[in-house]
Amino acid sequence: MADLELKNIKKMYNKNDVTVKDFSLEIRDKEFLVLVGPSGCGKSTTLRMIAGLEEITSGDLFIGGKKVNDVPPKDRDIAMVFQNYALYPHMNVYDNMAFGLKLRKLKKDEIKKRVDNAAKILGLEDMLTRKPKALSGGQRQRVALGRAIVRDAEVFLMDEPLSNLDAKLRVQMRSEIQKLHKRLQTTTVYVTHDQTEAMTMATRLVVMKDGIIQQVGAPKEVYDEPNNVFVGGFIGSPAMNFFNGKLDNEHFVMGDVRVHIPEGKLKVLRDQGYDGKELILGVRPEDIQDEPIFLEASPETKITVSIEVAELMGAEIMLYSNVDNQDFVARVDSRFNVHAGETVDLAFNLANAHFFDTVTELRIK
Amino acid sequence: MINQLRKIYPSIIRYEEKNNHLDHSYKWFISHDDEIIGIREDELTVKEQSVLTAFMVPYNVNFPIPTVEEKKWSSIIHSRDLAAKSNFKITIPFRFVYFSIKKNEIDPVVFKSAIQELFSRNVPVLWVNGYEGIIIEELSEFEEGTSYEQIIDILMSDLYVKIKFFVGPYRKNEERIMDHYHAVLTAAREVFFNTNRVVITYMDAIPYLLVHQTDDAFCSEMSDTVLQEYKNDEETLKMIEVFLKSNLNLSETSKILHMHRNSLQYRLDRFFENTGIDIRQFHQAMTVYLALLARK
Repeated sequence: MADLELKNIKKMYNKNDVTVKDFSLEIRDKEFLVLVGPSGCGKSTTLRMIAGLEEITSGDLFIGGKKVNDVPPKDRDIAMVFQNYALYPHMNVYDNMAFGLKLRKLKKDEIKKRVDNAAKILGLEDMLTRKPKALSGGQRQRVALGRAIVRDAEVFLMDEPLSNLDAKLRVQMRSEIQKLHKRLQTTTVYVTHDQTEAMTMATRLVVMKDGIIQQVGAPKEVYDEPNNVFVGGFIGSPAMNFFNGKLDNEHFVMGDVRVHIPEGKLKVLRDQGYDGKELILGVRPEDIQDEPIFLEASPETKITVSIEVAELMGAEIMLYSNVDNQDFVARVDSRFNVHAGETVDLAFNLANAHFFDTVTELRIK
Repeated sequence: MINQLRKIYPSIIRYEEKNNHLDHSYKWFISHDDEIIGIREDELTVKEQSVLTAFMVPYNVNFPIPTVEEKKWSSIIHSRDLAAKSNFKITIPFRFVYFSIKKNEIDPVVFKSAIQELFSRNVPVLWVNGYEGIIIEELSEFEEGTSYEQIIDILMSDLYVKIKFFVGPYRKNEERIMDHYHAVLTAAREVFFNTNRVVITYMDAIPYLLVHQTDDAFCSEMSDTVLQEYKNDEETLKMIEVFLKSNLNLSETSKILHMHRNSLQYRLDRFFENTGIDIRQFHQAMTVYLALLARK
């Protein structure tokens, strides 16, 4: 069993620099938890505090029910994989995987057993005598994972392990890491700034900003019900569109454009006293559509706009436009061929949209 | 020599490699014959220890047994033996790379053996104490080296220890080598006191060193005067810091901060309106950079 618990964890480097603020989270046994957020949000620092590589300024950390604040990293039963998947350049694959165990003075037989097992899991059996120079980027990354697997640790900590790989390889390695997790069932804490990686890999994800947890939840839950403007904008690609406007009677008004708000959402807004007040409307690009059937069914959320840029992505087209001088992007089906410069009708699917408070930027729910 | 010393210090012993054990109750030295010899500490006065240190290199029992090359470097850097120094010639450019690891978290012998695996040849490692030292890295024309950021990640995953590197500049000759050694050591300690970065080069460190040598009153005055009303505006200062680190590139900064380029532009304009400082100009950016360092 290796569940983790972080209780009111704080990290301060100096009086002006609080990197992680009051971080509390329970990580379940066998979970694949992803910490995601922009650069400088404190996700790597949190991971390194779990590893013991950064001291915890205040708060408590438990691994498997045991408080480990003062336990040295080597005694925490963790294995780490970092962004730089560099290997010992003059050692072959076998020795690269075995070296950490040799330093820990494990018996030769045990080392061989563990390395062979990791090589089998990762499909590296035919490469054990090769030097890193003779390996591709993906193979090297697999060796780096192998170096962690041989530890037979209770917890894997991975800090942006795929960010140095090219896009194609990243996608491939993403699924390899998922398969590995399914097979080994080791509790994993994974750090990334890439929201796609977070969405596709996580059992649960933790969105962070400025050292504070913004939201914790399953990927779909975070995508569908973002807590605030930041989460809405950070999770999803292209990002959620935000429009500033006002609640006027049953409509959301942006300059001369009025869109009708569905009954359920309107009630929530009215109940909370937003009548006549400024609001932020968040709409995902896929919830702005141009299909004739949808336009016909949504006359009250229809807008007529001029398309500035149309990016054909294959099955879909990204349409860039603006309403009331507020830029937005719509993700529409490429069957309806739209070109830049055209004036088109689009409609918002406000049933899936969210309203946010302009001051707190929290979702109104 | 050992027989002569034995007449004065009956406890004297030789380090026997096969025992691989250095008694902590002894003071250890490396003799001119490259032998490691120990004398019981209670047989030595402070004055006698100083005298012995003048003609033998003290040896810390916690450190790996020094190689011939390490002894040579050590004597050039630490001793005042002018004859040895005059015979010492640099043929390949080298640099001093300072490292620090957390106290008592790793056996220096293990650390050294891991370090050696990262280079094509054995690099001399001079230990300052049990957690700091200097790696002497020679310039290799044929080999594409592993970066120190990568070295940190490799060693952290094997040794479970946080490491910092201060990478000195390459030197082509042995001139003032002792001064350079001490300059690197001092600079590294000062810089790591002031920054969270784990790898820093001498060139990158210079602004930190300048600010570190400035008195607190002036640092405070400088950050107040330059940053003005933004002095405690963490969000704006963080944005500026990222902008400076991104070589004043708006697109790069907005990408890192997940901020729209126009919003960033607007905020920098506001900073200009309120402070009179156009951070998009190199000299003004440099002033703000120093003020940010002074503030820390």
